[in-house]
Amino acid sequence: MNPTAAYLHIPFCRRRCYYCDFAISVVGDRPLTDNSNIVTDYINYLCQEILATPETDTPLQTIFFGGGTPSLLPVKQLAQIIDTLQQKFKIAQDAEISMEIDPNTFNPEKLQGYLECGVNRVSLGIQTFDEKLLQICGRTHTVKDIFQAIEIIKKLSIKNFSLDLITGLPYQTLEQCQASLETAIKINPSHLSCYDLVLEPVTVFGKKYQPGKNPLPTDETTAAMYHLTQQLLTINGYQHYEISNYAQPGYQCQHNRIYWENKPYYGFGMGAASYVNQKRYTRPRTRREYYNWVKEGAVIDVPETSKSDRILETLMLGLRLAEGVNLSAISQQFGGQITTKILDCLQQYQKLNWVIFEPNLSRLRLKDPEGFLFSNQILTTLFELDFSEHDYLLG
Amino acid sequence: MTDVPVSRIRNFSIIAHIDHGKSTLADRMLQVTKTVAQREMKEQFLDNMDLERERGITIKLQAARMNYKAKDGEDYVLNLIDTPGHVDFSYEVSRSLAACEGALLVVDSSQGVEAQTLANVYLALENDLEVIPVLNKIDLPGSEPERVSQEIEEVVGLDCTDIIKASAKAGIGIDEILESIVNLVPPPEDTIDKPLRALIFDSYYDAYRGVIVYFRVMDGKVRKGDRVRLMASGKEYEIDELGVLSPNQIQVEELHAGEVGYFAAAIKTVEDARVGDTITLANKPADEPLPGYTEAKPMVFCGLFPTDSDQYPDLKDALEKLKLNDAALSYEPETSSAMGFGFRCGFLGLLHMEIVQERLEREYNLELITTAPSVIYRVTTTEEEVIEIDNPSLLPPPQKRTKIEEPYIQVEIIAPESFVGTLMELCQSCRGEFKDMKYFTLNRTCLIYELPLAEVVTDFFDRLKSRSRGYASMEYQLIGYRENHLVKLDILVNKEVVDALSTIVHRDKAYYVGRALAEKLKELIPRHQFKVPIQAAIGTKVIASEHIPALRKDVLAKCYGGDISRKKKLLQKQAKGKKRMKAIGTVDVPQEAFMAVLKLDS
Repeated sequence: MNPTAAYLHIPFCRRRCYYCDFAISVVGDRPLTDNSNIVTDYINYLCQEILATPETDTPLQTIFFGGGTPSLLPVKQLAQIIDTLQQKFKIAQDAEISMEIDPNTFNPEKLQGYLECGVNRVSLGIQTFDEKLLQICGRTHTVKDIFQAIEIIKKLSIKNFSLDLITGLPYQTLEQCQASLETAIKINPSHLSCYDLVLEPVTVFGKKYQPGKNPLPTDETTAAMYHLTQQLLTINGYQHYEISNYAQPGYQCQHNRIYWENKPYYGFGMGAASYVNQKRYTRPRTRREYYNWVKEGAVIDVPETSKSDRILETLMLGLRLAEGVNLSAISQQFGGQITTKILDCLQQYQKLNWVIFEPNLSRLRLKDPEGFLFSNQILTTLFELDFSEHDYLLG
Repeated sequence: MTDVPVSRIRNFSIIAHIDHGKSTLADRMLQVTKTVAQREMKEQFLDNMDLERERGITIKLQAARMNYKAKDGEDYVLNLIDTPGHVDFSYEVSRSLAACEGALLVVDSSQGVEAQTLANVYLALENDLEVIPVLNKIDLPGSEPERVSQEIEEVVGLDCTDIIKASAKAGIGIDEILESIVNLVPPPEDTIDKPLRALIFDSYYDAYRGVIVYFRVMDGKVRKGDRVRLMASGKEYEIDELGVLSPNQIQVEELHAGEVGYFAAAIKTVEDARVGDTITLANKPADEPLPGYTEAKPMVFCGLFPTDSDQYPDLKDALEKLKLNDAALSYEPETSSAMGFGFRCGFLGLLHMEIVQERLEREYNLELITTAPSVIYRVTTTEEEVIEIDNPSLLPPPQKRTKIEEPYIQVEIIAPESFVGTLMELCQSCRGEFKDMKYFTLNRTCLIYELPLAEVVTDFFDRLKSRSRGYASMEYQLIGYRENHLVKLDILVNKEVVDALSTIVHRDKAYYVGRALAEKLKELIPRHQFKVPIQAAIGTKVIASEHIPALRKDVLAKCYGGDISRKKKLLQKQAKGKKRMKAIGTVDVPQEAFMAVLKLDS
């Protein structure tokens, strides 16, 4: 299967947020102009990488600019990337082109410029509507900046727009969480991502805090936040279509669905991951190493993912979706007695009603919210299974 | 190999503390005497096991025969008999020393005499060995030859007027050492005409040739094809292969009094050719065996269980194989309600235990759960019967016993004076009884304590090292059994007694240990979907109680921009960790929990 999705990593950030361990380049508060060396260099390498990729005759259906902070990018450079993609792969007429944008990094003209380049979906990273919590996270914007950003989005009539929220932040209470959600609902975005904070070891948060310990909320509280989010958003017309994602009907993120459905995708830029020809590859995480890798021909020299790993990846990703996975389709794809093996091992969770199997659809899914909340437990049990026999089957 | 007159043989060993440079010196002598060609030289030729090389200690003995042309123009044969450098193997050390007439005492000139060295020097002097002191690492900036010489004179009582100053690493003083071996170490007694008596100082199992026995001929001579008898085991064998160690094995036809060599005779296990046994001729036996033979007795015990119960036969197999090569290792099947089928194993000491565990995991690819180490308790029952208990879970209930006795050791600790306070505190907290304190030199003190062995087999040594910032060294010997007020402390996980977590502790410490253990287990056992109570109890009386709250969530919120590898790794790690856990009823308990008693803060 040829990839129909492309992820592009735009690593620039004004500062590093205290919870973030992504591959980024901190550029400070001065606006980046279209002749900043750091930007032109990076975009040139990025386009060089795109051009070095073997082409296919399948046009791109989804494009995602993630970061970093893609909205630090001057319009001219965005156009350069999109032109390069168009030249290399062709972009489908109705393709979803998403872009992550941050408050305080764009004005109406710039956003209008992005739209003219083809962007038709934006995801605004706000994290919380609480001024104090924004500071605690090391964000570079205020609550007022958030509302200004939303005003611009609305003025330009971008219907397909998403807000990013984080729950479980230090000092955050259940009440603050509720207030942020209620504010978000009033804004009426077509999509919401609500992530429970993950403490990464090499971050300010990771060094300062311990999971579940003050000032981080307890597991009881963050579990309650998850329940609250699910209830508030679903009664307000959002579908809980993935563990951390909610959408109004028709507005699910098509690009992210590619990941969860375990389909192939391109990845371009430093630290970006791709899945092409059964090979998963993560690019070097620093600019220098990434540039060297591109100079040396952007060679992806990794083995193909084994069948047993592909089975596990299909389950791990697919069970993040509310609709779950189709076991007979997996059996057909990989052969053998997969269905019984999986169902046997998940019996304990079926009894708890965390896992649901619908035989007529051959559909296995996690119950919302309990199954989602304990999804790692369920997946760990699946990961204890040995699928290595499939590595020797043909097909 | 040419025949060598007894008068030109010198048998010696090297006594040194870990890191004081024994192996480097041995290597250097092999090079200087051209016994090992430069190109064959691996670093530390004599340390064969990986484990030894990693830790820089010698566990298994080795020997090497060197030809040396001395300044007097004569050709000499120098046999170096290496000794293991750890307290667990002091019996083996004593047998190696008994095979020598002399010993080099190698002391790091920037450090000084350590407890282990001292113990071995005394052993050498008891065996009437000529001890030649050598100051090593003389080229290091921190070297203090004057101070250390003075210390050797005062502490060991050796004359250090002409002490050899050497650096094995830099090749300084090596000729001087070789000359002094020739001149100072007496030749063996010429007893070639007596009936054969040869001392076994080491043996190992070889899959093709059977046990290879290392020995020193004390009297008479032995030839290839001879039928020999091992006087302690009573077994007889015909020698298939006879040779010397140079240090690679080179076959010879005959060895006589004073010489050191090896033989192979299709012996099936090292138990049949134990260290210290005497070899004699079957048709012309000696009247008396050589003195000093004892069977090494295990002092420390623990349960070894396969993580995966399918591996039980593999574990049994592996222990059988190790036993072929390790007469001191003992094991018998044990069944635990918590852990299933495994083995109760006995070891000479903690290092021996660690080595066996590591070999089982590394060489035999086994995943093991180890229970906390224990000692042998002597329990007198109400029927006046004395039974020996090496497993706390087997202790008879209080109404069935009248007393419990536990093994005691005398510990000698050598450390700089500034650490004396904290080390005394440590000994006190381990129920130690102060016996004596000696000042060696201005800055070095020797503390003597009597301690229950059970306190030392936990993490005593680690704590000693950390409290003294690595400066203290220790040595111990068993001094007998003493009655104490001991109780069995049980641990209940989710209301079930976990036999593998039971320990025997002093009544006065039970409350503290129980509480600390419950707290530690709360940290180590992961959350479950239900609340898990953890209790410590003596009999039916609960003395400490904790609980692990129920799991509320276990979810990874985000997949990073399509980079799923991290999440996958995390799940793989969790799955692997889960596989390694033991199910106690419905509670999964990780391996570390079974060693928790060793990790209590104090």
